[in-house]
Amino acid sequence: MTGASIPGAGYVAALASFDRMTATRLRALLRDRDPQEAYALAAGRVQPSDPIATLFAEYADLAQRWRTEARRHRPADAWRRCVEAGVDVVRPDDARFPAQLLGDPACPAVLFVRGDLDVLDARRVGIVGTRNATQQGRATAARFGAELAEAGVVVVSGLARGVDGAAHRGALSVDGSHPVGIVGNGLDQPYPRQHAELWARVAARGALVSEWPPGTPPDAFRFPLRNRILAALVEVLVVVESRERGGSLITAKEAGERSVDVMAVPGSVHSPASAGTNRLLSDGAAPATETADILVALGLDTRRAGRTRFDPRPAPRGTAAAIVESCRSQPLTLDAVVDSTGLSVADAAMAVARLERDGWLRSTGGWFEAIDEWADLA
Amino acid sequence: MFASISSAVLHGAVGHPIRVEVHVGKGLPGFTISGLPDESVRESRDRVRAAILSSALPYPDIRITVNLAPSDQRKTGSGLDLAIAVGILAASGVVDPAAAQAVAYVGELGLDGSLRAIPGVAPMVGSLGDEDVVVPVDSAVEAHVAARGTVRLLQRLDELVAVLNAEQPWPEHEPPAPPPEVTTSADLADVHGQHAARRSLEIAAAGGHHLLMVGPPGAGKTMLASRLPGLLPALDRERALEATMVHSAAGVRLPAGGLITRPPYRAPHHTTSAVALVGGGSGSIRPGEISLAHCGVLFMDEIAEFAPKVLDGLRQPLENRHITVSRSKINVVLPADFLLVAAMNPCPCGGGAPGACRCNAANLHRYLRRLSGPLLDRFDLRVDVHRPGVDDLLASTGGEATAVVAERVRLAREAAVGRQGCLNSRLDGSRLDRFAPLDTGGRAVLRDRLERGRLSARGYHRVRRVARTIADLDPRQPDVIPERAIHLALELRAPFDEALGRVA
Repeated sequence: MTGASIPGAGYVAALASFDRMTATRLRALLRDRDPQEAYALAAGRVQPSDPIATLFAEYADLAQRWRTEARRHRPADAWRRCVEAGVDVVRPDDARFPAQLLGDPACPAVLFVRGDLDVLDARRVGIVGTRNATQQGRATAARFGAELAEAGVVVVSGLARGVDGAAHRGALSVDGSHPVGIVGNGLDQPYPRQHAELWARVAARGALVSEWPPGTPPDAFRFPLRNRILAALVEVLVVVESRERGGSLITAKEAGERSVDVMAVPGSVHSPASAGTNRLLSDGAAPATETADILVALGLDTRRAGRTRFDPRPAPRGTAAAIVESCRSQPLTLDAVVDSTGLSVADAAMAVARLERDGWLRSTGGWFEAIDEWADLA
Repeated sequence: MFASISSAVLHGAVGHPIRVEVHVGKGLPGFTISGLPDESVRESRDRVRAAILSSALPYPDIRITVNLAPSDQRKTGSGLDLAIAVGILAASGVVDPAAAQAVAYVGELGLDGSLRAIPGVAPMVGSLGDEDVVVPVDSAVEAHVAARGTVRLLQRLDELVAVLNAEQPWPEHEPPAPPPEVTTSADLADVHGQHAARRSLEIAAAGGHHLLMVGPPGAGKTMLASRLPGLLPALDRERALEATMVHSAAGVRLPAGGLITRPPYRAPHHTTSAVALVGGGSGSIRPGEISLAHCGVLFMDEIAEFAPKVLDGLRQPLENRHITVSRSKINVVLPADFLLVAAMNPCPCGGGAPGACRCNAANLHRYLRRLSGPLLDRFDLRVDVHRPGVDDLLASTGGEATAVVAERVRLAREAAVGRQGCLNSRLDGSRLDRFAPLDTGGRAVLRDRLERGRLSARGYHRVRRVARTIADLDPRQPDVIPERAIHLALELRAPFDEALGRVA
């Protein structure tokens, strides 16, 4: 492939791969310049008289580092990866670029997209939360995702394990929904790998968005940056579960700075997975206990929301019902079941095994969690 | 001129009788030992010479040749010192050769002519049959345990000369005071809550099932494990002797009566090396922790922190209930029939209730993968142990006392041995079908688990073995295993490695 045949997007993708390339620097490089020129500038030597020289002055080794980076990231390769992964390169001057981001102070200089960004023209709600979510947290996320999608709302999330994935699965369970996933790595390599299928379905139905070109690994520092895009894109952000210092709290903070409504799902004071969300509530976030709460925040009709699905599970009776009920408020161990019911260990084991078989409980690491009717998606 | 003295050496935990042949004759002054002595035996030349001279006895300054028969076998250790010294004294006519050759000798000599205790006196004396044997005073307890002949105690070499020359009777030495009795206060009654874990200890003790406890730090895994030996029945004479021999060979002090009658409890630290765990070493082969735990409990806390090589070493003994340690020149079989109790955290951060874990997936995988599948397969019981609840801790009464549970364990073990001649953990597929039939409910439960891929074929056998023990612990001791026993067995087989996609 000769230099002439590479479109500008290839140069942008190569530039976005550079180490120490921030949205601000990339915007500055691309301002009033065509991408090929900008690439040559970053890869070559800058005259001190050039106004862009101030960019390089911020950081001593930047010019040197970028010259090295330019040898690693060739526009031809970057473009080929985009084409192979079916990724569009969308810059702010593109009509497809989300309008919500244009006025944002930390607006990305470029977005890499699979799918259709136009779905963002609908009402948008972000659902985020911890990766190590409880069964209940995942089920709640799935229920919100499905019921919001039912109401025609676009569900935006991060496609991570736990709450994020459950929200997407919930949204995808509704025909004609358009979920949007904002991720922190290249769109050619699904992360986590178990979510490969989920990525594909989100890309096919809605859109997958990343600030980084294909080939970018999921480095820890990229996720907070991803969170700011998510926060800027939505009208309401719902945090389902978050630990004391979870990444979802960063998203909530970014949302707060952008006057996006933050809602949190209240949880047990005993559950570490709800420590962060309970803190958000005491800091003034609105509680989200059912989908109607979120629809009200959006100013939408709530009459159709929250229809319960048909539950085919045989209803437990007596002691079994009591066990399910106590597992609903917090996960219980077998010992706790023995204590609360007074059954022998063997009888308690038999009771929980039957509840597990019938789909009322799930055991993880010796803890029993109640499953609500949305768990099949969570 | 010539004397042939009876003594013994130690290989692993087994004694071998040795003839020490001593020739003192014309030639240049010198002292040679033949018959495959190792360095520790060769060093005895200097000790013996010094001890004889220090005892003011005549040392023959002519040629001394010692042969250790059978001469094709490696000899190791300092226990032959006394026999060599007596041989020299007899061959040079200082003591009456006939009297000297009528007794066997085991012990090390100090340069001042005193006798020192050595490890392994019990198996060595045991190997000498009904010969009378002379041992150092400090080895009295060990020698008495194994001796079938008379045991003579000796403090110094010079005492022996008068005795063998019939000038004095054998000296009457008081055996040394036994170590203070350690009263084990670990009673199951002190354990609050922990219903599932208590039950699994009882089942482990009754069926001889290896037990893996998974739980966060502070859940009481170590406390629970230390209660297990108390649930096991006392050792019968034969087993007690086996355990005593191993302890003697390892140089561990024996209890007052000499015999180890309670199941031993060993808890090696996770930095323990492979040799220290399974036994071995260069030169002499010393029993490892698994042999010291013979007939008792081996508790491996933080089992995932042991080096993989060390854990691999456990696989053969768990299978065969003994360990064969082979070195280029020596091959030793040590007993290692122990009940393995292991403990580990559910994940590197310690975990807790769902949602509390802060581990990322990669770290979790790495942690869980340290336990290899074959080793994991050995644990019939894998139980999740949780921190006890506040109410349990504050409750004034704990659970049942050790004595109550131990009685149930004893009855269950008797039932199992009476039915099939072994503990339930040793039942294999065909004998399970015969001795552990299921009722229809239990069969349906297992079929359901198997069909859903939540139980492997191995797991199926494990569950049936454990369920057999649960049924045996029931006072009614039903022949057919009821459904609730199957449920409990399934519950006590936590699939803690779900993250790895392995099925139990």
